[in-house]
Amino acid sequence: MLAEQSILLMLAVAVAGAALCLSLPRPRQVLTTIVAVSAVEMAFAINIWAAVLAGPGSVTAAEQWFYIDAFSAFHIVVLVLVFLLSSAFAGVYFTSEAAHGFMISVARRFGALWLGSLAAMLLVLMSNNLGIMWVGMEATTLLSAFLISLYPTRLSLEAMWKYLIICSIGIAFAFMGTLLAAASIQSGGIVEADALLWTHLASPEAHLDPILMKFAFVFVLVGYGTKAGLAPIHSWLPDAHSQAPAPVSAMFSGFLLNTALYCVMRFVPPAQHALGPNFANGLLIVFGTLSILVAAGFIVFQRDAKRLLAYHSVEHMGIITLGYGLGPLGAFAALFHTLNHSVCKSLAFFAVGRLGQRFGSHEMHTISGALRADHLWGIALLVSLLALIGVAPFSIFMSEYQLLRAAAGTGAWLALALFLIASGVVFVSALRHLIDMAFGDPKAHEPPAREGKLAVPIVVLAVGLLLVLGLWMPLSLSQAIASAAAVLAG
Amino acid sequence: MFALLETVHALGLLSCFALLGTSRIGACIRWLSFQGILFGLVPLIVHQGGLGWRAALLAGGNIALKGIGFPLLLLRLRARAETNREVEPFVSFVMSILFGIFALGLSVWLTSELKPALHQAPFVMLDSSIFLILVGLFLIISRRNALMQVIGYLVLENGIFVFGVITVVGTPLLVELGVLLDAFVGVFVMGIAIYHINREFGSIEVDRLSALKG
Repeated sequence: MLAEQSILLMLAVAVAGAALCLSLPRPRQVLTTIVAVSAVEMAFAINIWAAVLAGPGSVTAAEQWFYIDAFSAFHIVVLVLVFLLSSAFAGVYFTSEAAHGFMISVARRFGALWLGSLAAMLLVLMSNNLGIMWVGMEATTLLSAFLISLYPTRLSLEAMWKYLIICSIGIAFAFMGTLLAAASIQSGGIVEADALLWTHLASPEAHLDPILMKFAFVFVLVGYGTKAGLAPIHSWLPDAHSQAPAPVSAMFSGFLLNTALYCVMRFVPPAQHALGPNFANGLLIVFGTLSILVAAGFIVFQRDAKRLLAYHSVEHMGIITLGYGLGPLGAFAALFHTLNHSVCKSLAFFAVGRLGQRFGSHEMHTISGALRADHLWGIALLVSLLALIGVAPFSIFMSEYQLLRAAAGTGAWLALALFLIASGVVFVSALRHLIDMAFGDPKAHEPPAREGKLAVPIVVLAVGLLLVLGLWMPLSLSQAIASAAAVLAG
Repeated sequence: MFALLETVHALGLLSCFALLGTSRIGACIRWLSFQGILFGLVPLIVHQGGLGWRAALLAGGNIALKGIGFPLLLLRLRARAETNREVEPFVSFVMSILFGIFALGLSVWLTSELKPALHQAPFVMLDSSIFLILVGLFLIISRRNALMQVIGYLVLENGIFVFGVITVVGTPLLVELGVLLDAFVGVFVMGIAIYHINREFGSIEVDRLSALKG
């Protein structure tokens, strides 16, 4: 099948699935539908990825409105992978909540918003027009807001309100940035109607006004950076991640943040053409390092397991941003880290979500002895947290190691030192939390409930990916990531 | 054209200062409606028939939503939540007016910085848009009432709308409509959120939303 049609079909399937969920009579069917839709999307995504890598490096559709190159194709595959895992987990998670109010009305709302968010994120990743990309990004905020307060409690409403207001402001700034970038091209002589097309803005022939481009990049970085959870504008993130149901947290952490960072990175090639490499890279290094440091500080004092994971997200988004700032080698490490972090963080939220259901709370002192109380999710928790703090042989260790080499190679010694210090702090404090949760004395609880059929495959797949990619990187994956990194180099 | 833009600019400033200094939420919503209609006219003035039906559609859509639709929605929410006043904002009304004066200076300075790069954009409108953005942000941060925060968000949105109209002449219609749709859904979502908050907390003062920390 042609990649061009896959692009349109991918969007259509997600939208149709969302509409279908609204009309299904049983919660069970909604949960099956989202898994089926994600599986179909996976086939499309791989088809597009293969076409991009085999062909001229990009696929366009609908008269240049959609444009997919190696960079976006990579992100689409990771997105769909996270969605597939999280959708399967949603079945496991919500089935055991059936008694506690996962009624058909809630299920329908969940299914429609879930697949709606998928469609919005796909729109972001596929758009060539930066205006449409922005529209998609704003749509993700609006659609996912009610996923946070799927059960409207006081805490979830508070988290949702903060998320709505802070991200709306952020996204407004991003729009200013987009407009400024479009305005910067006008002195160039390219037809005005194309001013918002990324392919025009990023082409080396475009003459961009340096002053406007400078303003544009700062606005975009701060604006989309808010949504990506970069410090110091991350304040909505721990609240939203901790209050949302576990599958939603996994999707937020596993990919929503990456989608926002993707938008920032789309503005890097134009900024480099207009201002030279140092301006954009410098800002990325500063924001990345700051996020790592701030997150490390908060991780030390966390008591709630989901908030702990949320601050880990701030840290890892910081690591990815830092990587992007370190030139081509760093961009490679950042992209590899994106894949590793998405898989690992999803698994961690799955484990904490399920254990939270068993133990009745996400407070870390109530979750103790998870390994003995619940073998499957106990192992998932142990593996995912060990991987998150960078223990070998898991793949996050490999991508962080590549990042260190990139930092040393470009002579970013200060960032390197700060990164190592923060990682050390995170390692020690998170390990302390983990030991209590995994190996402590299990208190008396209800016996393990029957898990859904998909529980074991989810854990095996995620752990397997983390382990295999940590030990051996397939040549085709490495080439795919390298060509994605090459897009950023212009 | 410039004389008309001067008038829009002056009336726009007036509406912003009114929003900064008014405690009655009903009055604020009416000022917001006035502001929506006022700045909805900008595409018609700037393009003066050059873009014909496109400018008309853009202006019509904006006036319908920001001048009529959103204010009606907000008035209904106000009636349901039974709040009439922003009682004690985090920043007092006098200080808010003083902020307005400071923001006016800041926006003039920023405009003169940006103007050389954006030579085709009229100075007064650039100034208006930056001022609207600053005032909108300030209202969101400084007010306790969730409805006032939504009003602030819409003022910010107005500022960005004006900025878009004067800087990027040839934005595709699809993008403009997408932006408008997002604003529509955004306010709608915030409205539903306020409804839930009111039901759960018995009030829409956002300083009650302070359980999540650290």
